[in-house]
Amino acid sequence: MDYAERYREIIPEFDRFQEIQSCPLAATARINELKIDRSRLLERLRVGGISFEQLGWYSHGIRLSSEKPGKLLDYMLGFIHIQEEVSMVPPLILGPLPGERVLDLCASPGGKTTQISQMMKNQGLVVANEPSLSRISALRSNCERLGALNVVITRYDGRQFPEIDVDRVLVDAPCSSEGRARRDPGIWSRCSPKRSQDLAALQTGLLKRAVKLAKPGGVIVYSTCTYAPEENELVVQSVLDSARLEQVALPGLKECPGLTEWQGRILSDELKLCARYYPHQNDTGGFFVARLIKE
Amino acid sequence: MVDPSDIFELWRARFGLPDGVFSGYRFFRRAQSIWVLRDEKLPRISYETLGLRMMSLKDRPWKPTTCALQVFGKYATRNTVHLDSVQASRFLAGESQHLPCDCEPGYVVVFYSGEVLGCGLYSHGKLISQLPKERRMASCEDGDGDT
Repeated sequence: MDYAERYREIIPEFDRFQEIQSCPLAATARINELKIDRSRLLERLRVGGISFEQLGWYSHGIRLSSEKPGKLLDYMLGFIHIQEEVSMVPPLILGPLPGERVLDLCASPGGKTTQISQMMKNQGLVVANEPSLSRISALRSNCERLGALNVVITRYDGRQFPEIDVDRVLVDAPCSSEGRARRDPGIWSRCSPKRSQDLAALQTGLLKRAVKLAKPGGVIVYSTCTYAPEENELVVQSVLDSARLEQVALPGLKECPGLTEWQGRILSDELKLCARYYPHQNDTGGFFVARLIKE
Repeated sequence: MVDPSDIFELWRARFGLPDGVFSGYRFFRRAQSIWVLRDEKLPRISYETLGLRMMSLKDRPWKPTTCALQVFGKYATRNTVHLDSVQASRFLAGESQHLPCDCEPGYVVVFYSGEVLGCGLYSHGKLISQLPKERRMASCEDGDGDT
Protein backbone atom coordinates (compact mmCIF):
# COMPACT_ATOMS: atom_id res chain seq x y z
CA MET A 1 0.00 0.00 0.00
CA ASP A 2 2.95 2.33 0.68
CA TYR A 3 3.81 1.93 -2.96
CA ALA A 4 0.70 3.96 -3.81
CA GLU A 5 2.39 6.96 -2.16
CA ARG A 6 4.18 7.57 -5.46
CA TYR A 7 0.80 8.69 -6.82
CA ARG A 8 0.02 11.23 -4.08
CA GLU A 9 0.84 14.15 -6.38
CA ILE A 10 -1.12 12.91 -9.39
CA ILE A 11 -4.29 11.43 -7.91
CA PRO A 12 -6.82 14.02 -6.70
CA GLU A 13 -8.22 13.57 -3.17
CA PHE A 14 -5.46 11.10 -2.51
CA ASP A 15 -6.57 10.30 1.05
CA ARG A 16 -9.97 9.19 -0.24
CA PHE A 17 -8.19 7.11 -2.87
CA GLN A 18 -6.23 5.41 -0.09
CA GLU A 19 -9.31 4.84 2.05
CA ILE A 20 -11.32 3.17 -0.68
CA GLN A 21 -8.60 0.60 -1.36
CA SER A 22 -9.82 -1.39 1.62
CA CYS A 23 -13.50 -1.27 0.53
CA PRO A 24 -14.46 -4.34 -1.51
CA LEU A 25 -15.98 -3.76 -4.93
CA ALA A 26 -19.64 -4.49 -5.66
CA ALA A 27 -20.23 -7.27 -8.16
CA THR A 28 -21.10 -5.90 -11.59
CA ALA A 29 -22.21 -7.66 -14.73
CA ARG A 30 -22.81 -6.87 -18.37
CA ILE A 31 -26.07 -7.87 -20.03
CA ASN A 32 -25.24 -10.05 -23.03
CA GLU A 33 -27.49 -9.03 -25.88
CA LEU A 34 -26.01 -11.75 -28.08
CA LYS A 35 -28.39 -14.01 -26.18
CA ILE A 36 -31.11 -11.94 -24.56
CA ASP A 37 -32.73 -8.53 -24.92
CA ARG A 38 -31.85 -6.13 -22.19
CA SER A 39 -35.49 -5.57 -21.18
CA ARG A 40 -36.19 -9.31 -21.00
CA LEU A 41 -33.12 -9.89 -18.82
CA LEU A 42 -34.11 -7.09 -16.44
CA GLU A 43 -37.59 -8.60 -16.22
CA ARG A 44 -36.12 -12.05 -15.48
CA LEU A 45 -34.07 -10.59 -12.63
CA ARG A 46 -37.11 -8.80 -11.19
CA VAL A 47 -39.30 -11.90 -11.40
CA GLY A 48 -36.51 -14.03 -9.94
CA GLY A 49 -36.18 -11.68 -6.97
CA ILE A 50 -32.53 -10.95 -7.79
CA SER A 51 -31.76 -7.46 -6.57
CA PHE A 52 -29.79 -5.26 -8.91
CA GLU A 53 -29.19 -1.67 -9.85
CA GLN A 54 -28.57 -0.38 -13.35
CA LEU A 55 -25.33 1.50 -13.95
CA GLY A 56 -26.04 5.15 -14.61
CA TRP A 57 -23.54 5.50 -17.43
CA TYR A 58 -24.01 2.26 -19.39
CA SER A 59 -27.36 0.76 -20.30
CA HIS A 60 -25.94 -2.78 -20.40
CA GLY A 61 -24.21 -2.67 -17.02
CA ILE A 62 -25.82 -3.77 -13.76
CA ARG A 63 -24.66 -3.90 -10.15
CA LEU A 64 -25.72 -7.05 -8.31
CA SER A 65 -26.03 -7.56 -4.58
CA SER A 66 -25.55 -11.30 -5.05
CA GLU A 67 -22.36 -12.50 -3.35
CA LYS A 68 -21.80 -15.14 -6.02
CA PRO A 69 -23.26 -13.85 -9.28
CA GLY A 70 -21.38 -16.64 -11.10
CA LYS A 71 -23.87 -19.04 -9.50
CA LEU A 72 -26.92 -17.40 -11.07
CA LEU A 73 -28.78 -19.33 -13.74
CA ASP A 74 -28.58 -16.21 -15.90
CA TYR A 75 -24.80 -16.56 -15.82
CA MET A 76 -24.89 -20.23 -16.82
CA LEU A 77 -27.29 -19.37 -19.64
CA GLY A 78 -24.89 -16.71 -20.90
CA PHE A 79 -27.36 -13.90 -20.33
CA ILE A 80 -24.88 -11.97 -18.18
CA HIS A 81 -21.11 -11.77 -17.91
CA ILE A 82 -19.42 -10.86 -14.64
CA GLN A 83 -17.25 -7.91 -15.55
CA GLU A 84 -15.80 -5.11 -13.46
CA GLU A 85 -17.55 -1.82 -14.12
CA VAL A 86 -14.68 0.20 -15.63
CA SER A 87 -13.57 -2.86 -17.59
CA MET A 88 -16.65 -2.20 -19.74
CA VAL A 89 -15.17 1.14 -20.84
CA PRO A 90 -12.48 0.19 -23.44
CA PRO A 91 -14.84 -1.54 -25.93
CA LEU A 92 -17.17 1.47 -25.78
CA ILE A 93 -14.26 3.76 -26.58
CA LEU A 94 -13.17 1.41 -29.38
CA GLY A 95 -16.68 1.70 -30.88
CA PRO A 96 -16.72 -1.36 -33.17
CA LEU A 97 -19.53 -1.54 -35.77
CA PRO A 98 -21.38 -4.54 -37.23
CA GLY A 99 -19.52 -5.95 -40.23
CA GLU A 100 -16.08 -4.59 -39.30
CA ARG A 101 -12.95 -6.61 -38.65
CA VAL A 102 -11.59 -6.03 -35.15
CA LEU A 103 -8.46 -7.38 -33.49
CA ASP A 104 -8.38 -7.88 -29.71
CA LEU A 105 -4.68 -8.36 -29.18
CA CYS A 106 -4.70 -9.48 -25.50
CA ALA A 107 -8.11 -11.10 -25.29
CA SER A 108 -8.38 -13.56 -22.38
CA PRO A 109 -10.62 -14.04 -20.42
CA GLY A 110 -12.83 -12.48 -23.07
CA GLY A 111 -15.09 -9.98 -21.28
CA LYS A 112 -14.08 -7.22 -23.65
CA THR A 113 -13.91 -9.59 -26.63
CA THR A 114 -17.53 -10.62 -26.14
CA GLN A 115 -18.58 -7.03 -25.46
CA ILE A 116 -17.04 -6.14 -28.85
CA SER A 117 -18.88 -9.09 -30.44
CA GLN A 118 -22.10 -7.82 -28.88
CA MET A 119 -21.54 -4.26 -30.14
CA MET A 120 -21.03 -5.77 -33.61
CA LYS A 121 -24.30 -7.69 -33.25
CA ASN A 122 -22.47 -10.95 -33.94
CA GLN A 123 -21.58 -9.71 -37.45
CA GLY A 124 -18.19 -9.07 -38.99
CA LEU A 125 -15.16 -10.70 -37.43
CA VAL A 126 -13.44 -10.41 -34.06
CA VAL A 127 -9.93 -11.86 -34.03
CA ALA A 128 -9.25 -12.63 -30.37
CA ASN A 129 -5.56 -13.19 -29.74
CA GLU A 130 -4.15 -14.78 -26.60
CA PRO A 131 -0.55 -15.95 -26.49
CA SER A 132 -0.94 -18.15 -23.43
CA LEU A 133 -2.38 -21.61 -24.09
CA SER A 134 -3.54 -21.93 -20.50
CA ARG A 135 -5.59 -18.73 -20.78
CA ILE A 136 -7.22 -19.72 -24.06
CA SER A 137 -9.62 -22.15 -22.37
CA ALA A 138 -11.22 -19.36 -20.31
CA LEU A 139 -11.46 -17.18 -23.40
CA ARG A 140 -13.05 -19.96 -25.40
CA SER A 141 -15.41 -20.95 -22.63
CA ASN A 142 -16.67 -17.37 -22.22
CA CYS A 143 -17.11 -16.90 -25.98
CA GLU A 144 -19.11 -20.12 -26.16
CA ARG A 145 -21.22 -19.46 -23.06
CA LEU A 146 -22.05 -15.99 -24.34
CA GLY A 147 -22.92 -17.22 -27.83
CA ALA A 148 -20.30 -15.20 -29.75
CA LEU A 149 -20.45 -16.53 -33.31
CA ASN A 150 -18.16 -13.99 -34.96
CA VAL A 151 -15.04 -14.66 -32.85
CA VAL A 152 -11.96 -16.57 -33.95
CA ILE A 153 -9.13 -17.25 -31.51
CA THR A 154 -5.45 -17.00 -32.43
CA ARG A 155 -2.34 -17.65 -30.36
CA TYR A 156 0.44 -15.33 -31.42
CA ASP A 157 2.89 -13.19 -29.51
CA GLY A 158 0.96 -9.97 -30.04
CA ARG A 159 4.19 -8.08 -30.77
CA GLN A 160 4.60 -10.23 -33.85
CA PHE A 161 0.98 -10.63 -34.87
CA PRO A 162 0.94 -11.36 -38.63
CA GLU A 163 0.01 -8.69 -41.13
CA ILE A 164 -3.77 -8.51 -41.61
CA ASP A 165 -6.14 -5.66 -42.48
CA VAL A 166 -8.15 -4.50 -39.47
CA ASP A 167 -10.53 -1.61 -38.85
CA ARG A 168 -9.94 -1.42 -35.10
CA VAL A 169 -7.54 -2.86 -32.56
CA LEU A 170 -7.92 -3.18 -28.80
CA VAL A 171 -4.74 -3.49 -26.76
CA ASP A 172 -5.92 -4.28 -23.24
CA ALA A 173 -2.39 -4.90 -22.15
CA PRO A 174 -0.98 -7.11 -19.41
CA CYS A 175 -0.12 -4.71 -16.59
CA SER A 176 0.74 -4.41 -12.90
CA SER A 177 -3.04 -4.38 -12.18
CA GLU A 178 -2.92 -1.78 -9.40
CA GLY A 179 -6.51 -0.86 -10.30
CA ARG A 180 -7.60 -4.32 -9.11
CA ALA A 181 -6.37 -3.79 -5.56
CA ARG A 182 -9.91 -3.55 -4.16
CA ARG A 183 -10.38 -7.18 -5.26
CA ASP A 184 -6.89 -8.33 -4.38
CA PRO A 185 -5.15 -6.13 -1.78
CA GLY A 186 -1.96 -8.17 -2.19
CA ILE A 187 -1.38 -6.51 -5.55
CA TRP A 188 0.40 -3.49 -4.08
CA SER A 189 3.10 -5.65 -2.54
CA ARG A 190 3.94 -7.08 -5.97
CA CYS A 191 4.38 -3.66 -7.62
CA SER A 192 7.72 -1.97 -8.20
CA PRO A 193 9.18 0.52 -10.68
CA LYS A 194 11.26 -2.33 -12.11
CA ARG A 195 8.15 -4.45 -12.73
CA SER A 196 6.41 -1.52 -14.42
CA GLN A 197 9.44 -0.91 -16.62
CA ASP A 198 9.57 -4.56 -17.67
CA LEU A 199 5.87 -4.51 -18.46
CA ALA A 200 6.28 -1.23 -20.34
CA ALA A 201 8.68 -2.89 -22.77
CA LEU A 202 6.04 -5.52 -23.58
CA GLN A 203 3.22 -2.97 -23.68
CA THR A 204 5.15 -0.70 -26.05
CA GLY A 205 5.84 -3.65 -28.35
CA LEU A 206 2.15 -4.57 -28.37
CA LEU A 207 0.92 -1.04 -29.00
CA LYS A 208 3.45 -0.42 -31.79
CA ARG A 209 2.33 -3.60 -33.52
CA ALA A 210 -1.33 -2.63 -33.09
CA VAL A 211 -0.73 0.76 -34.71
CA LYS A 212 1.12 -0.94 -37.56
CA LEU A 213 -1.78 -3.36 -38.17
CA ALA A 214 -4.60 -0.80 -38.12
CA LYS A 215 -5.61 0.66 -41.46
CA PRO A 216 -5.01 4.42 -41.98
CA GLY A 217 -7.74 6.23 -40.08
CA GLY A 218 -8.35 3.07 -38.02
CA VAL A 219 -8.96 3.22 -34.27
CA ILE A 220 -6.62 1.74 -31.69
CA VAL A 221 -7.58 1.67 -28.02
CA TYR A 222 -4.88 1.09 -25.43
CA SER A 223 -6.02 0.25 -21.91
CA THR A 224 -4.60 -1.04 -18.63
CA CYS A 225 -5.90 -1.44 -15.10
CA THR A 226 -2.93 0.29 -13.51
CA TYR A 227 -2.06 3.81 -12.40
CA ALA A 228 1.65 3.57 -13.29
CA PRO A 229 2.49 6.29 -15.83
CA GLU A 230 5.37 4.09 -17.02
CA GLU A 231 2.74 1.61 -18.28
CA ASN A 232 0.28 4.23 -19.50
CA GLU A 233 1.19 7.69 -20.81
CA LEU A 234 4.83 6.76 -21.45
CA VAL A 235 3.74 3.79 -23.56
CA VAL A 236 1.21 5.83 -25.54
CA GLN A 237 3.77 8.58 -26.10
CA SER A 238 5.96 6.07 -27.96
CA VAL A 239 3.47 5.82 -30.86
CA LEU A 240 2.49 9.47 -31.21
CA ASP A 241 4.66 9.77 -34.32
CA SER A 242 2.30 7.45 -36.20
CA ALA A 243 -1.07 8.01 -34.50
CA ARG A 244 -2.94 10.90 -32.91
CA LEU A 245 -4.98 10.86 -29.73
CA GLU A 246 -8.69 11.54 -29.37
CA GLN A 247 -10.56 12.50 -26.23
CA VAL A 248 -11.76 9.66 -24.02
CA ALA A 249 -14.89 10.48 -22.04
CA LEU A 250 -18.21 8.80 -21.29
CA PRO A 251 -21.17 10.77 -19.97
CA GLY A 252 -21.94 9.80 -16.39
CA LEU A 253 -18.50 8.40 -15.60
CA LYS A 254 -15.92 10.73 -14.08
CA GLU A 255 -12.42 10.61 -15.49
CA CYS A 256 -9.19 12.53 -14.93
CA PRO A 257 -7.02 13.65 -17.86
CA GLY A 258 -3.88 11.76 -18.81
CA LEU A 259 -0.63 13.07 -17.33
CA THR A 260 1.59 15.46 -19.25
CA GLU A 261 4.39 15.32 -16.70
CA TRP A 262 5.83 12.51 -14.57
CA GLN A 263 8.74 12.62 -12.14
CA GLY A 264 10.05 15.80 -13.73
CA ARG A 265 9.78 14.51 -17.26
CA ILE A 266 7.62 16.61 -19.59
CA LEU A 267 5.39 14.51 -21.82
CA SER A 268 3.33 15.35 -24.90
CA ASP A 269 0.52 17.76 -24.15
CA GLU A 270 -1.76 15.58 -26.29
CA LEU A 271 -1.70 12.92 -23.56
CA LYS A 272 -4.24 14.86 -21.54
CA LEU A 273 -6.84 13.42 -23.97
CA CYS A 274 -6.37 9.99 -22.33
CA ALA A 275 -8.62 9.07 -19.39
CA ARG A 276 -7.64 7.92 -15.90
CA TYR A 277 -10.44 6.29 -13.94
CA TYR A 278 -9.90 6.31 -10.19
CA PRO A 279 -11.78 4.07 -7.73
CA HIS A 280 -12.88 6.85 -5.37
CA GLN A 281 -14.43 8.92 -8.16
CA ASN A 282 -16.92 6.34 -9.47
CA ASP A 283 -16.73 3.62 -6.77
CA THR A 284 -15.10 1.22 -9.25
CA GLY A 285 -11.71 -0.31 -9.92
CA GLY A 286 -9.00 1.79 -11.61
CA PHE A 287 -8.33 2.01 -15.35
CA PHE A 288 -6.41 3.93 -17.99
CA VAL A 289 -7.78 4.31 -21.53
CA ALA A 290 -6.33 5.97 -24.64
CA ARG A 291 -8.00 6.24 -28.06
CA LEU A 292 -5.64 6.62 -31.03
CA ILE A 293 -6.30 7.23 -34.71
CA LYS A 294 -3.70 5.92 -37.11
CA GLU A 295 -2.36 8.66 -39.37
CA MET B 1 -15.04 -26.31 -44.86
CA VAL B 2 -18.17 -28.40 -44.56
CA ASP B 3 -21.29 -28.22 -46.74
CA PRO B 4 -23.85 -26.22 -44.71
CA SER B 5 -26.72 -28.22 -46.15
CA ASP B 6 -25.26 -31.44 -44.71
CA ILE B 7 -25.15 -29.88 -41.25
CA PHE B 8 -28.60 -28.41 -41.58
CA GLU B 9 -30.03 -31.77 -42.65
CA LEU B 10 -28.70 -33.44 -39.48
CA TRP B 11 -30.25 -30.77 -37.25
CA ARG B 12 -33.51 -30.71 -39.23
CA ALA B 13 -33.87 -34.48 -39.01
CA ARG B 14 -33.27 -34.64 -35.26
CA PHE B 15 -34.71 -31.36 -33.97
CA GLY B 16 -37.04 -30.16 -36.74
CA LEU B 17 -35.20 -26.88 -37.24
CA PRO B 18 -36.93 -24.63 -39.80
CA ASP B 19 -35.16 -23.50 -42.96
CA GLY B 20 -32.87 -20.51 -42.71
CA VAL B 21 -31.67 -20.98 -39.11
CA PHE B 22 -28.11 -21.57 -40.29
CA SER B 23 -28.07 -19.03 -43.10
CA GLY B 24 -25.22 -16.54 -42.80
CA TYR B 25 -22.94 -19.07 -41.08
CA ARG B 26 -20.19 -21.34 -42.28
CA PHE B 27 -19.02 -24.62 -40.80
CA PHE B 28 -15.62 -26.14 -40.25
CA ARG B 29 -14.59 -29.63 -39.34
CA ARG B 30 -11.57 -30.18 -37.14
CA ALA B 31 -10.88 -33.72 -35.95
CA GLN B 32 -14.25 -35.06 -34.81
CA SER B 33 -15.91 -31.68 -34.19
CA ILE B 34 -17.92 -29.22 -36.27
CA TRP B 35 -17.55 -25.51 -35.55
CA VAL B 36 -19.92 -22.73 -36.59
CA LEU B 37 -18.80 -19.20 -37.47
CA ARG B 38 -20.38 -16.11 -39.00
CA ASP B 39 -19.80 -16.31 -42.76
CA GLU B 40 -17.02 -13.73 -43.13
CA LYS B 41 -13.83 -13.59 -45.12
CA LEU B 42 -11.02 -14.99 -42.95
CA PRO B 43 -7.46 -13.65 -43.05
CA ARG B 44 -4.95 -16.35 -43.94
CA ILE B 45 -3.35 -16.85 -40.55
CA SER B 46 -3.42 -19.79 -38.17
CA TYR B 47 -6.31 -20.22 -35.75
CA GLU B 48 -6.86 -21.99 -32.45
CA THR B 49 -10.64 -21.96 -32.79
CA LEU B 50 -13.19 -20.75 -35.35
CA GLY B 51 -16.43 -19.64 -33.72
CA LEU B 52 -18.32 -22.03 -31.49
CA ARG B 53 -17.96 -25.80 -31.26
CA MET B 54 -21.43 -26.99 -32.20
CA MET B 55 -21.33 -30.78 -32.50
CA SER B 56 -19.24 -33.85 -32.03
CA LEU B 57 -19.08 -36.61 -34.65
CA LYS B 58 -16.94 -38.84 -32.46
CA ASP B 59 -19.72 -41.30 -31.67
CA ARG B 60 -23.00 -42.26 -33.27
CA PRO B 61 -25.36 -40.56 -33.12
CA TRP B 62 -23.68 -37.15 -33.47
CA LYS B 63 -23.96 -35.02 -30.35
CA PRO B 64 -24.86 -31.32 -30.19
CA THR B 65 -22.99 -29.14 -27.69
CA THR B 66 -24.82 -27.32 -24.94
CA CYS B 67 -23.49 -23.98 -26.14
CA ALA B 68 -24.82 -24.62 -29.66
CA LEU B 69 -28.22 -25.68 -28.32
CA GLN B 70 -28.38 -22.51 -26.23
CA VAL B 71 -28.07 -20.56 -29.51
CA PHE B 72 -29.95 -22.70 -32.05
CA GLY B 73 -31.99 -25.06 -29.85
CA LYS B 74 -34.77 -22.54 -29.29
CA TYR B 75 -35.88 -23.23 -32.88
CA ALA B 76 -36.26 -26.96 -32.22
CA THR B 77 -39.71 -28.43 -32.83
CA ARG B 78 -38.89 -32.08 -32.10
CA ASN B 79 -37.10 -33.98 -29.38
CA THR B 80 -37.47 -31.22 -26.85
CA VAL B 81 -38.02 -31.71 -23.12
CA HIS B 82 -39.59 -29.11 -20.83
CA LEU B 83 -38.69 -29.39 -17.16
CA ASP B 84 -40.26 -28.01 -13.99
CA SER B 85 -38.07 -26.30 -11.42
CA VAL B 86 -37.22 -29.43 -9.42
CA GLN B 87 -36.35 -31.36 -12.56
CA ALA B 88 -34.34 -28.42 -13.87
CA SER B 89 -32.26 -28.29 -10.68
CA ARG B 90 -31.38 -31.96 -11.08
CA PHE B 91 -30.50 -31.45 -14.71
CA LEU B 92 -28.34 -28.41 -13.90
CA ALA B 93 -26.51 -30.40 -11.24
CA GLY B 94 -25.57 -32.93 -13.92
CA GLU B 95 -27.83 -35.69 -12.60
CA SER B 96 -29.97 -38.32 -14.34
CA GLN B 97 -33.71 -38.64 -13.67
CA HIS B 98 -36.67 -40.74 -14.71
CA LEU B 99 -38.90 -38.71 -16.97
CA PRO B 100 -41.78 -39.93 -19.06
CA CYS B 101 -41.83 -38.09 -22.37
CA ASP B 102 -42.55 -38.76 -26.02
CA CYS B 103 -39.03 -38.06 -27.31
CA GLU B 104 -37.17 -40.51 -29.51
CA PRO B 105 -34.17 -42.01 -27.72
CA GLY B 106 -31.06 -39.89 -28.24
CA TYR B 107 -30.01 -36.29 -27.68
CA VAL B 108 -32.69 -33.77 -26.75
CA VAL B 109 -33.00 -30.02 -26.24
CA VAL B 110 -33.76 -29.37 -22.58
CA PHE B 111 -35.89 -26.32 -21.74
CA TYR B 112 -36.81 -24.71 -18.46
CA SER B 113 -39.10 -21.73 -18.17
CA GLY B 114 -38.86 -21.04 -21.89
CA GLU B 115 -35.04 -21.02 -22.01
CA VAL B 116 -32.73 -23.70 -23.37
CA LEU B 117 -30.63 -25.16 -20.54
CA GLY B 118 -28.62 -27.43 -22.80
CA CYS B 119 -28.17 -30.95 -24.06
CA GLY B 120 -29.71 -34.07 -22.51
CA LEU B 121 -29.60 -37.73 -23.47
CA TYR B 122 -32.95 -39.50 -23.41
CA SER B 123 -32.62 -43.23 -22.95
CA HIS B 124 -34.93 -45.91 -21.48
CA GLY B 125 -37.20 -43.36 -19.86
CA LYS B 126 -34.30 -41.49 -18.26
CA LEU B 127 -33.04 -38.00 -18.96
CA ILE B 128 -29.28 -37.91 -18.50
CA SER B 129 -27.77 -34.44 -18.21
CA GLN B 130 -25.01 -33.78 -20.72
CA LEU B 131 -24.00 -30.41 -19.30
CA PRO B 132 -20.24 -30.01 -19.31
CA LYS B 133 -18.84 -30.00 -15.77
CA GLU B 134 -17.91 -26.32 -15.87
CA ARG B 135 -21.48 -25.37 -16.74
CA ARG B 136 -23.19 -27.35 -13.99
CA MET B 137 -24.81 -25.25 -11.34
CA ALA B 138 -23.83 -27.34 -8.33
CA SER B 139 -20.17 -26.98 -9.17
CA CYS B 140 -20.46 -23.55 -10.80
CA GLU B 141 -17.65 -21.34 -9.55
CA ASP B 142 -17.49 -17.61 -9.93
CA GLY B 143 -17.20 -16.65 -13.55
CA ASP B 144 -13.95 -15.88 -15.25
CA GLY B 145 -14.64 -12.26 -14.53
CA ASP B 146 -12.64 -9.43 -16.02
CA THR B 147 -10.66 -6.91 -14.07
